[in-house]
Amino acid sequence: MTTTYISRHPLEDRLPLEPGIRAVDHLEVPRGKAIATVMAMDGEEAAVAAGLAASGDVSVRFVAPGEWLAISQSDTPEVLHRNLSLLLAEAAYIFDQSDGRVVFRLSGPNVRRILAKGVGIDLHASAFEIGTSSNVLCGHISVNLARSGENEFELIVMRSFAESLFDDLRAMGREFDLSADFAAEG
Amino acid sequence: MASLIHCPHCGVRPKEEFSIRGDASLVRPDPEASDEAWHEYVHIRANPRGRYLEHWQHVAGCRRWLVVERDTFTHQVFSVTDGAAAARGTSR
Repeated sequence: MTTTYISRHPLEDRLPLEPGIRAVDHLEVPRGKAIATVMAMDGEEAAVAAGLAASGDVSVRFVAPGEWLAISQSDTPEVLHRNLSLLLAEAAYIFDQSDGRVVFRLSGPNVRRILAKGVGIDLHASAFEIGTSSNVLCGHISVNLARSGENEFELIVMRSFAESLFDDLRAMGREFDLSADFAAEG
Repeated sequence: MASLIHCPHCGVRPKEEFSIRGDASLVRPDPEASDEAWHEYVHIRANPRGRYLEHWQHVAGCRRWLVVERDTFTHQVFSVTDGAAAARGTSR
């Protein structure tokens, strides 16, 4: 028997479905991102890192030695999984995480001050450059934090923590009148 | 300060991101070793004042086990190495 599961975003009850009015500092929740965990096989860490770096459209987030998250905006989860499998066959294990993780995008001039309320690492551009990513503790939740621009950060969190992290981020951003909505692109 | 640990994979992190397992200098006895040796290994711990080797896991970060050498009195951290590398070094 085949069962059809309905794909449902964990924040659907918490956010308006249409994009709202943006404040200066904004929390955006992109839907429909394809996310995959890539784990290098023993001894293949360097080869996998080089392969991922050359994968073009896919943005790569560092999780741990030999472990990354690969994110694609344009591909479906199936296509991302297939592309990565072709690219990294025999060198890495690839698992689809598209429904298992939730992406948050924080942007605005005060993002660093907002994040400083929950994250215990130095986020100055000289210490945490654009393009770097790492797992950090935000409040009591472990998230993958990446700097995608001078004043833009992306947080990837496990699905079951998404609502809790959302509440935390809103509380952290209340001082700066942080607005929140789903990203327009999907 | 022991409250900031320099993870070899993630950089400087607050201690809240870690969980501590305990003494990292213990060597597991031979399976045929005496009951005293096993009792010593499983239950008996020193509580030193000074330099101490400990297993710390970076649970909220890279999730790797680290061997942290620190002073239990001054909280000064002398070295942090990846657990796998440390185990390879002592060929355990």
